[in-house]
Amino acid sequence: MSAQDFLTLTGVSKVYRRGQSLLERLKKTDAGGTKAVSDVSLMIRHGETVGLVGESGCGKSTLARLVSGLMAPTSGEIVFRKDKTGRTPRLQMIFQDPYSSLNGRWTIEDIIAEPIKVHKLRKGRAAIRARVDELLVQVGLSPADAEKYPQEFSGGQRQRICIARALAGEPEFLILDEPTSALDVSVQAQILNLLRDLQKNLHLTSLFITHNLSVVRIMADRIGVMYLGELVEEAPSEELFRRPRHPYTRLLIDAAPDMDTDDRSLHPIAGELPNPAFPPSGCRFHTRCPFAKDVCRSTAPPQKMTDAGGLYRCHFDLDLSNTSTVPALAKMKTA
Amino acid sequence: MTPLVSTPAARRSRFSNLRRAMLKAPGATLCALTIFAMFVYAFVVPLFSQNPFEFAGMSVLDSFIPPMWMTDGVPDFPLGTDDQGRNLFTAMAYGMRTSIIVGFLSVMIGLVLGGSLGLIAGFVGGKVDAFIMRLADVQLAYPALLLAMIIDGAARAALGAERSVTTAITIVVLSIGIAFWVQYARTIRSSVMIERDQDYVSAARITGRSNLSIIVLHILPNVMAPVLVIATINLGIAIITEATLSFLGIGIPVTSPSLGTLIRNGNNFLQSGEWWISVWPCLVLVLFVVSVNILGDHLRDVYNPRLKGRS
Amino acid sequence: MTSPLLDVRDLTVTINRDAGMVTALDKVSFHVNPGEVLGIVGESGAGKSITGAAIIDLLVPPLKRTGGTITLAGERLDTLSPKAMRAVRGGKIGFIFQDPMTSLNPVITIGRQLCDTIEAHLKIGGDRAKKKALEWIERVGLPNPDVQFKRYPHQLSGGMRQRIVIALALCANPALVIADEPTTALDVSVQAHILQLMRDLHRESRTSMMLITHDLGVIAKMADRVAVLYAGRVAEISLVGELFNAPKHPYTRGLIRATPMPSPDGNVRLDQIPGAMPGLGKTPPGCAFNPRCFKAEGDCCVTIPPLTARESAAFSCFHPLEKEVA
Repeated sequence: MSAQDFLTLTGVSKVYRRGQSLLERLKKTDAGGTKAVSDVSLMIRHGETVGLVGESGCGKSTLARLVSGLMAPTSGEIVFRKDKTGRTPRLQMIFQDPYSSLNGRWTIEDIIAEPIKVHKLRKGRAAIRARVDELLVQVGLSPADAEKYPQEFSGGQRQRICIARALAGEPEFLILDEPTSALDVSVQAQILNLLRDLQKNLHLTSLFITHNLSVVRIMADRIGVMYLGELVEEAPSEELFRRPRHPYTRLLIDAAPDMDTDDRSLHPIAGELPNPAFPPSGCRFHTRCPFAKDVCRSTAPPQKMTDAGGLYRCHFDLDLSNTSTVPALAKMKTA
Repeated sequence: MTPLVSTPAARRSRFSNLRRAMLKAPGATLCALTIFAMFVYAFVVPLFSQNPFEFAGMSVLDSFIPPMWMTDGVPDFPLGTDDQGRNLFTAMAYGMRTSIIVGFLSVMIGLVLGGSLGLIAGFVGGKVDAFIMRLADVQLAYPALLLAMIIDGAARAALGAERSVTTAITIVVLSIGIAFWVQYARTIRSSVMIERDQDYVSAARITGRSNLSIIVLHILPNVMAPVLVIATINLGIAIITEATLSFLGIGIPVTSPSLGTLIRNGNNFLQSGEWWISVWPCLVLVLFVVSVNILGDHLRDVYNPRLKGRS
Repeated sequence: MTSPLLDVRDLTVTINRDAGMVTALDKVSFHVNPGEVLGIVGESGAGKSITGAAIIDLLVPPLKRTGGTITLAGERLDTLSPKAMRAVRGGKIGFIFQDPMTSLNPVITIGRQLCDTIEAHLKIGGDRAKKKALEWIERVGLPNPDVQFKRYPHQLSGGMRQRIVIALALCANPALVIADEPTTALDVSVQAHILQLMRDLHRESRTSMMLITHDLGVIAKMADRVAVLYAGRVAEISLVGELFNAPKHPYTRGLIRATPMPSPDGNVRLDQIPGAMPGLGKTPPGCAFNPRCFKAEGDCCVTIPPLTARESAAFSCFHPLEKEVA
């Protein structure tokens, strides 16, 4: 582990045993269980934001819960760099649903003060209250809101409260699990801008999970693309968009409709998402891949490195920089 | 940012919500007033009157006096007297007091016992959950009354015949409480299983809260509302159970009567024309239990989270 | 100019609450031309789903239609009896819901559900209905129609279920299809499939469509004209190209610029709209957008700007944006 490394995941897997028979459960075999995350290795450097994208069932949220410690991996290691005193870094998480992530019976003050009290970051009621007020202002709310209950706030405001609570723990590492997916576009922009400002000012290291490629492109320094529990490609953000190496990345970029009204073509990915409980043999993407050959059906592709420090799992070195249409850009966005 | 809802703190607004709901539901309000009046009756009247169950309170000369509006009735005994010459108006206040105390205490015991078992079952899950819930299933196979009788009988056998009034009441309270824990446990368990997967619990866990403080500080406040409604309704059932036990003669001794003892006492004279001895306590019991049930039903509607909007 | 297929004038929907009447839709007017796709876009709470439900009289109390006229091909829908309205629903107007799981009956096979709809609205029975149902299963792109015919909704994936919902909406040859967030519950790769399918079927049948969504990307690809709703009122109606390239209403432009869509140099700036949409019953006086609008002046806070038509567009704003020179 080099000095810069903050968090290292080595061969992390998670098997849900729900689908298994009792016998299989007792034997602790992997058969029958759903492998939600499969052999993921990832490294996050200090001060960096790594994004994870993928469709539902790709294991990105499971990975977030593994990293947060809410769940233990079935195999593999998740190692945080310890500081000089041997303490593991404090972490906080921001969730997708701004309704279920706040305790409706607590006031905003109690909610935001909880991490401060648990970690003993401030002493005395006055100091804690002052810190809560400061955090509320930092996330764009007012100190007067401290007396209220979560029910009195809209989804966007609740997400601000969640951010304030996360910051209250003075985390060195922040996990964001689809933090804006439940929000409307105009509110999403507010929250994303707030998060970007905080990233810049607080030098947070973070893991940003979303299904929206445009969002992750704005937020992350590096992006990992997941498909059926596997990390199929990982690269610096702009590199990933300019020169994707994995066909799935390319197709995923093209599949989301952009706002260009002159080119109205749609780019669906062939086939359907296979059941994650029974992933295809060989390369998991071969059932939908336009470049698939026989080798893809039989052999799992090796992990390859790129010059730019990215990695991908594909048998071929495809040039995908503009295989299908490069996502056209909305003209007014250059402002 | 402009908040969507303006200032009044939720605590206060919850209170005014209750008031508005009361005004909208005159039936439930009437029941609440009835219950309040009965509390006053049960706890204030004994302060100012001679206990009719002590020797000084009885006078055989005054026995079997009918209510005051009937012939032979006297204004000193507005509801009449029983075979020992006890004033029924004051006797019923004492009986009511015992009934209410027994009802409340047994509901508390059921709530605490069932509540904690339900919390543990729902939160821990797995084998612990399976064990507690199978225990509950087994208990549900017995009628609660039968179970209370078994526990009561077992305790009597263990403690022998010599018992003080307090011990007798304790036994009754415990047996009713234990007979009713299952309902609380099941309700709390299912709510806990929903709450423990909510993101706010995950957030507390990531922050480093222990399981115990998560249960007490986060989950408990969120699962209490439905259980408190059940407790209200069970208060009526507990009082009836106690009355039944006392009626059967295995509840509370005659020296410190409850409504059930009074009814049993009067039952002996129903055939001989002295109907008032058992009819009054019966009426009071019915009125109290019905009021408690209607109020409980109403509270269930008010606090049903599915009927409540998010705003 | 041809007469519109669907004409909605001053549609008003109110919510009856303890505190009194709250307006959810305030005099919404628009029309759908034959063969056209009208996109209806807005954020949650803008009233776009209520608009769809109001047209086919599927409002759930306490929501209630209290004013306005709805005309479909010359026939007034707002004065129809509930029985006549049932024939219109599923017959002349097909409906595609957001959640394919809840819009299909889980205990009836998809074949039976298709046959029921076909029998009820096309007045054909037995084998002919079954034949038509099988045709539709094939048309919406499901393999092995004979097998699918006997399957239950839970045996299909989300994308396949939504295909069946589309078949149900179209199988009675409706004149108009209302699609309420048809792809919101689906993954990106599946979404593109469903949009492609809707486009193909639309091209074949020339059925008019009302496409309700919050996703500007979907609107840009699918709609011919777009109505932007804000706080229960129409902010702007315009041809799709014009709307994206030269929006007139400040809210429209705000919405477009708030959608994350990075430029090639990686220099991304999200232009946020301050504040949030007013909640129900909390609409400010004057233009509903005035507290969040950078162009708001005194008149905006007093008078509700009327929907004024200019060229092919209509907008409700006193200080519309000028066309930007790129």
